[in-house]
Amino acid sequence: MRGRLLLPVMLVTAILLSLMVGQVFVTPADLWTGLWKGTGSGALTLRVLRGPAAFTAAGAGAVLGASGTVFQVLLRNPLAAPDVMGFMSGAGLAVVTAVAFGILLPLPLLAAAGGLLAAVVVALLSFRGAGVQSSLTLILVGIGVGFFAVAASSFLITRMPPQEAADAQRWLSGSLAARSWWHVLQVWGLGSLLFLVLALQVRTMALLELGDELAAGLGARVGRARYGLIGTGVLLAATGVAVAGPIPFVAMMAGPLGMRVAGVTQPGSRLAVAAVTGAIVTILADVVARSVVPGLQLPVGVMTGILGAPYLLWLLMKEAEAGEL
Amino acid sequence: MKLILGLVLPLVLAMALTLLVGVQDAGLGNLWNALFVFDPADPAQVVIHSVRLPRLVAGCIAGAGLGMAGTIMQAVTRNPLADPGLLGVNAGAAFAVVVGALLLGSPDNGMIAALTFPGAALASVAVFLLGGARTGAAGPVRLTLAGVALNALLLSLISAVILARSEVLEVFRFWVTGSLAQANTRPLLAMTGTLVIGTGLALLAAPRIEALALGSALARGLGTRPARVQLVALAAITLMTGSAVAVAGPIAFLGLIVPPLSRRLSRHHLRREIFVSAVLGATIILLADTVGRLVVAPAEIRVGIMTALIGAPAFILVVRRLKPGALT
Repeated sequence: MRGRLLLPVMLVTAILLSLMVGQVFVTPADLWTGLWKGTGSGALTLRVLRGPAAFTAAGAGAVLGASGTVFQVLLRNPLAAPDVMGFMSGAGLAVVTAVAFGILLPLPLLAAAGGLLAAVVVALLSFRGAGVQSSLTLILVGIGVGFFAVAASSFLITRMPPQEAADAQRWLSGSLAARSWWHVLQVWGLGSLLFLVLALQVRTMALLELGDELAAGLGARVGRARYGLIGTGVLLAATGVAVAGPIPFVAMMAGPLGMRVAGVTQPGSRLAVAAVTGAIVTILADVVARSVVPGLQLPVGVMTGILGAPYLLWLLMKEAEAGEL
Repeated sequence: MKLILGLVLPLVLAMALTLLVGVQDAGLGNLWNALFVFDPADPAQVVIHSVRLPRLVAGCIAGAGLGMAGTIMQAVTRNPLADPGLLGVNAGAAFAVVVGALLLGSPDNGMIAALTFPGAALASVAVFLLGGARTGAAGPVRLTLAGVALNALLLSLISAVILARSEVLEVFRFWVTGSLAQANTRPLLAMTGTLVIGTGLALLAAPRIEALALGSALARGLGTRPARVQLVALAAITLMTGSAVAVAGPIAFLGLIVPPLSRRLSRHHLRREIFVSAVLGATIILLADTVGRLVVAPAEIRVGIMTALIGAPAFILVVRRLKPGALT
């Protein structure tokens, strides 16, 4: 119970920290004045400089965290996540392709198309004869598809003019620089919609976690439920990619970290906890990325890479000790 | 004999293409002159002599080194997904170079290239320990994911360092994604030397590595000490990968593509396999580089991107061939 209170408190603290820390330190009092009176350094920070980035980070982290948990529950494997399995790289590739060929479509649409396409490719390539493959095959094939998407993105970037190429490169590593309230609106709007869809699917998700046969026995339409959940999971990840680029490791880390803090096990609460934890991780990673080198804003993805890789290694050690991998 | 012809002819062809093809196509006459009666006043000859020839040498070092390193890694770990790039050994070597340049405050120092060796050594020890070599349970999935994690960590650190000190480290921007451009500024001669030493070690250790593949108990019975063999193999991998990264940056996937091909061509004889891997690696990288220079001329696609475009599908193919029981 205490853990469940801890997460919202940490989220609020993280947002506050993100608004205060940067090139110039802004006190909470200034922010308070800026919020209510609309004047002074607080108002500028809140409205233009740090507000949009903080709330985009919160939204992107939340959708990524929830997306990771969907796949971790479905594949019953903590290694399953849209970043590891190449869906986010696929979404990134779709956006880069559109930019390279001058196709003017909204980013969320492009990212969703790319993510779904990557998921279909992973699924098709994982089938070998009859029957469903083990989750490990799916994860490895996903890693391979991700490798290809990243290489193809780099290929396309080489053909762009230098400035555009630098921007695209930065975006592809996951960046919250120069976010506007339009990004906040996109990620919170689409995110809320997808969370509603997810809420309708939570019951079947709980059934699927019991195993396919048991779930079918309890009245779930296993195949349809699974495809529906995969779709929602990919769209959640694509929404995050559309506003902040393919930030690595947040989707993978958020769920297990949140479960540890809050001590929940039911799919519904796991999703909620993963969303909040994802938001916290992304915001804090961005704060560190902005302040670790004075006078320079590192992309947030660089920091989640540095923080997330040790987590993946720790997970591998732990699974090996448990004899599961 | 047939094998030698089948291997050497493509390599010679790839070499000739590397020298001849580019923004300015050079004729065969120019090629002959540039190689044997070099005239520094002729621009066409200068391009061949001081741009494309170093590129060729760098490609041979990187291709042969990474191809052989992949073959030895796969023979030692018996894991068809082992590749110095995917397991983070390349990234370790590159990280050491970037940190060295950062500390010395200048990228133009012969010492810095040599930092690839300690970097590669540390990264390979790390990935084997993390992948469970010590507990004897380094399944393909664990080793691959340990490599993914190590790569993510090191590449993130590299981009953080390069972004933070871009004025000093700008030159590494292209090198860290794997490129044969600017090969004329790399220590080609020294790295040829280290590659030869690494190859020698690998050839010496090859029969022992084959014995090890029979299982460590049986290998001990045949008089092989597994720990010592693994150490020699590690040294060979380090020398080969370090040389390759020093001249061409971290190029992934070559060590994944080459071994299955060379295994088939050399009928499971490891010494022959090492030779075949060297030739195939050099051929593939030179062809990939030539294609990369042609498709978007006058710009070029870095060879690391080209090998990844071929290598990612190859990776999926290898995964699909793994027997379900062999995953863990």
